[in-house]
Amino acid sequence: MNADPLKQLLRAEGATLVGVGDVTKALSKEISHLNRGIAIAVNRSLRRETVELLIRLQGLAEGWLRAKGHRSLSIPPDSDRRQDKMITKLYKLFCHKTAATCAGLGWIGKNGLIINEQYGSKMTWATVLTDAPLRADQPYVKSLCGDCDLCVAHCPSGALKGHLWSLGNPLREIVSYDKCRTLKSGRTSLKEKPNCGFCVTVCPYSRQGTRENSKSSQFVKPAVS
Amino acid sequence: MADEARKKEILEKLRNGVIQYDEDACREGANEAVAEGLDANEAIFDGLVSGMEEVGRLFEAQEYFVPEILMCADALYAGLEILKPHCQQMDLGVKGSVVIGTVEGDVHDIGKNLVKMMFDVAGFTVYDLGRDVPLDKFVEEQLRTDSELVCLSAMMTTSMVGMPKVIEKIKAKNPDCMIMIGGAPTSKELADKWGADGYAEDASNALKEAIKMVAFLKKLRDEKMKK
Repeated sequence: MNADPLKQLLRAEGATLVGVGDVTKALSKEISHLNRGIAIAVNRSLRRETVELLIRLQGLAEGWLRAKGHRSLSIPPDSDRRQDKMITKLYKLFCHKTAATCAGLGWIGKNGLIINEQYGSKMTWATVLTDAPLRADQPYVKSLCGDCDLCVAHCPSGALKGHLWSLGNPLREIVSYDKCRTLKSGRTSLKEKPNCGFCVTVCPYSRQGTRENSKSSQFVKPAVS
Repeated sequence: MADEARKKEILEKLRNGVIQYDEDACREGANEAVAEGLDANEAIFDGLVSGMEEVGRLFEAQEYFVPEILMCADALYAGLEILKPHCQQMDLGVKGSVVIGTVEGDVHDIGKNLVKMMFDVAGFTVYDLGRDVPLDKFVEEQLRTDSELVCLSAMMTTSMVGMPKVIEKIKAKNPDCMIMIGGAPTSKELADKWGADGYAEDASNALKEAIKMVAFLKKLRDEKMKK
């Protein structure tokens, strides 16, 4: 089943990236019938409007799939999960990173975040799972971080271990989340996620096309092996 | 009181709201029911619960899967929240309070929440301890609330091994208290061996059982109405 019309629709409505991944291997029993993951990313910082846009895009995807007689389940952006709802229980069974890597939209960097070749780690993600047999994109199976370890060197909590991610080795710990959280506990001004964000801003992929990048040659895009 | 045609329309809206997991429709239907003086119990049982029965059928027919079930349950709750304050306690011969929770170490509590829904609908007072509950908390809460029923749920064998201790402790103090256990590692044999009064295997099983029990309550109520 051709996913191009759906991708075009979502891009026209504001999605920066849309991809389809075969996520069969990542599904638990409750959602095993929904083996395609539509990864949607928006190149904006995490604000209320970004989340609203993603939720609207998910609704459009759901409608498109429903009109063709298929089931779907939207996994909303992490910051839009209402804890008092039963369906929220299912959201944690699937993570956006799986959909994004399977859909070939990025790999998991040494910072533990999705890195897209064009936009780096600055994206906000949402996923729609479906049982529609959409043609899947080519997945990323290994990291393209190469020798670059700027995020590891700049992490104030020493939480990044510097390991390269690969699809075949999902259990290797890339980020010590306990250490990552220590920074948050010491700073009351950071209320949301336990991220200080240095690992995002320092990533050469995230800095492409930004003003800082054209001024400074300090950050060089790593060579891809 | 609204006329029959209007009443049917509202009940249908509640029922379809649950089936089509449309929270807004359920809320709208519930508000209309309250505003137009429909009996809240009737709206719950002939509207929301009747919808959930159909959902159970769709689940058995494999037209609905776990995600749909949970969205339907959310829709049911959206309506129930509005109708509940207008409910008169029904005299169905079964009423009371229940302590429910997921045993320590467990965070997977879908089945527990579906069972809780059944008690909510039936008008029980539910003391939900949530998830990851230390075992002694069940005993404490039972004593504090003098509940007739205690439900323990576990997903992993490691968290299940503590169950017999709790059952023993509660039964020692309150022999009349009923205890139900649930979750994937439990079984009828274990329930019998440990002296529990009932069990449900997993979320879908719990759902089926919950719907069966609610359907049974509905039948009881219908029979009572006839008399």
